[in-house]
Amino acid sequence: MLLVQLIINGVQVGALYGLTAVGFSLIFGATKIFHFAHGASFAISAYVFYYLYAVLNLGWPISILACSIAVVLFGVTLDRYVYVPIQRSNGSFFTVFVASFGVAVVIQNLIGTVFGRGFISVSSALSKSVEVAPGLYVAPTAGIAIVIAAACFVALQLFLGRTNIGIALRALSESPALVRTFGLNPKAISTCAFALGSLLVVPAAVLTSMTSGLNAAIGGRVMLISIAATIVGGVGSLRGAACAGLLLGVAENLAVWRFDPQWSEAVTFIILFTFIVLRPSGFFGRVVTS
Amino acid sequence: MLSPRKIAVLAFSMFVSFVGQASAEDFRIGAIFPLSGANADYGDLYMGATELAVSHLNEAKALGGKLSIAYEDSQALPQQGVIAMNKLVNVEKVSYVLSAFTGVSKAISTTAMRSHTVAVNGGGVGPDLAELGEYFWNVIPLANFEVRAMAPYLVQKRGLKRVVLVYVDDPLGQSIKRELESSLPPLGGMLAEALSVPSNAQQFSGIAARVRDANPDVVYIASFGAQQSQIIKQLRDNGVTQQLASYSGFAIPAIANLPEAKGALFTTQRIDWNSEDPVTKRFTQEYQLKTKRAPTAYAANYYNAVLLFGTLASAVQKAGQPVTGENLLAKRREIGAFDLVGGRLSFEKDGTIRSAMQINEVDGGAGKVVEVVAAP
Repeated sequence: MLLVQLIINGVQVGALYGLTAVGFSLIFGATKIFHFAHGASFAISAYVFYYLYAVLNLGWPISILACSIAVVLFGVTLDRYVYVPIQRSNGSFFTVFVASFGVAVVIQNLIGTVFGRGFISVSSALSKSVEVAPGLYVAPTAGIAIVIAAACFVALQLFLGRTNIGIALRALSESPALVRTFGLNPKAISTCAFALGSLLVVPAAVLTSMTSGLNAAIGGRVMLISIAATIVGGVGSLRGAACAGLLLGVAENLAVWRFDPQWSEAVTFIILFTFIVLRPSGFFGRVVTS
Repeated sequence: MLSPRKIAVLAFSMFVSFVGQASAEDFRIGAIFPLSGANADYGDLYMGATELAVSHLNEAKALGGKLSIAYEDSQALPQQGVIAMNKLVNVEKVSYVLSAFTGVSKAISTTAMRSHTVAVNGGGVGPDLAELGEYFWNVIPLANFEVRAMAPYLVQKRGLKRVVLVYVDDPLGQSIKRELESSLPPLGGMLAEALSVPSNAQQFSGIAARVRDANPDVVYIASFGAQQSQIIKQLRDNGVTQQLASYSGFAIPAIANLPEAKGALFTTQRIDWNSEDPVTKRFTQEYQLKTKRAPTAYAANYYNAVLLFGTLASAVQKAGQPVTGENLLAKRREIGAFDLVGGRLSFEKDGTIRSAMQINEVDGGAGKVVEVVAAP
């Protein structure tokens, strides 16, 4: 039963990892910007939700809507007023990365100053596990995480495959010059990528605030998982990032089955290292979307 | 004849030397606390107590000049701690440094020993801290005494014999594991499983599954800061209903305010907050007034550490000696016992205080004392 329990836990965690990683991969794939502040987007979303839902008791629809707006505004503002000016003045890939890293550090400290640096969590009946079979405990958040992750991924695939802006996003990742030739504005499409990528962290951030809880430094871990999942899944592949996120979550939990729990964190790096050595292109190579 | 320019330089030099003399009687001590990162809660807690002690010493004009503290952020990381210690010793030229966390304290102890700077720990509880040399003092009983107080209570008084340990893999966690392994069997208990976690881990649902699988009577948590709150919440959320127990790391407001932690047991040194002892009474009242928090053992320890400096520095001054690490150490040995929060405390030969312990239960406030254990 322990094995089944760990697989269920792993799928829940992996679904959230997958969502976060897909957001990062979408932004990176479309804009080629190493958006290190993606972890900060996660933290902003989680803390805004915590403040509105747990402190101001505004109810979850308003809280989720507000944290979605906040995180989209953050992503878009960062693109428009930090990344674009750097790129305009011929800033290198590395310069943009450093700027993004700096923003992430600033946001972490701002959150620490405003909310404190200790642990906080949103109390919810949804995170309390119930025994569904002897020795098998499942919380409603597990089902919610899996369903929302699947729904978001399907919706994203439809958006990218069937809408003009989605097709433009995929085109931008292949050739910005071609996008311009067709009379489209790469900056506007880039803004859309940031909005969409940032929005994808919201479900994971909200559910994490209920299950694992938050601290000001949570963005760093989110970025670590996002980067690992993007590389393991194949840079630019959303399907790959989703699958890799799921793989990392399940592997992390399954490691606890036979090894000391200490190894569960190392599993992420072992998988990453294995892929870099044996299959550098990741699960699905460099395809924007399937 | 001196030119106007030379006169100006001379006047400025005299002014600087005058200002230097005026501030020569002021005292500055150092403090290496976690002020950012996941353990910043502790730094905040410690600072409330040290600032109170400084204000009390300055009000009483216990020293010739004004006392102040140079704070450095360790983030509870040994490497940052060493950088901070070097700055305090070489730039600030302090002779007395407050330290926290086992890893950080061990890391700075060599610099303390080499530079003859007194380092005083009031928060780290790893038993190794008793072996860091004559310039390293502990104003807190160490974890081995905490475990030796808790184990008999769990096994003999509560009948909780099967223990699972969830510990962070650092010197503190390892020492608690060793102590549980040696102290439980003679009492009729057993350490059924010991699950180590890295200090930066945040996901514990898998560990909760392992804990349930081991079917313990009690789960002993040896972590600190934000992580221990995460462990408690995730254990409870994932169906672990057994009694929780820990060491003095639980004596922070974040745990007191965590609904999932209610009923958890933890050890601290014995302090009667209702005592009529004047030092304890003043600290208890003014700490609450100033910080709007209930007093904790950690706060008392750091208040005591600053008060101890005041007593020793004052005695050194009266003896007409400079306030150096060597002289502070000699005075501590000479005086022997000190009136501090919690009563009259004395140091053992290894520079560590030993006191009676108490077992507390998390009740949403300052904690309910459920057992008092005499000093070993």
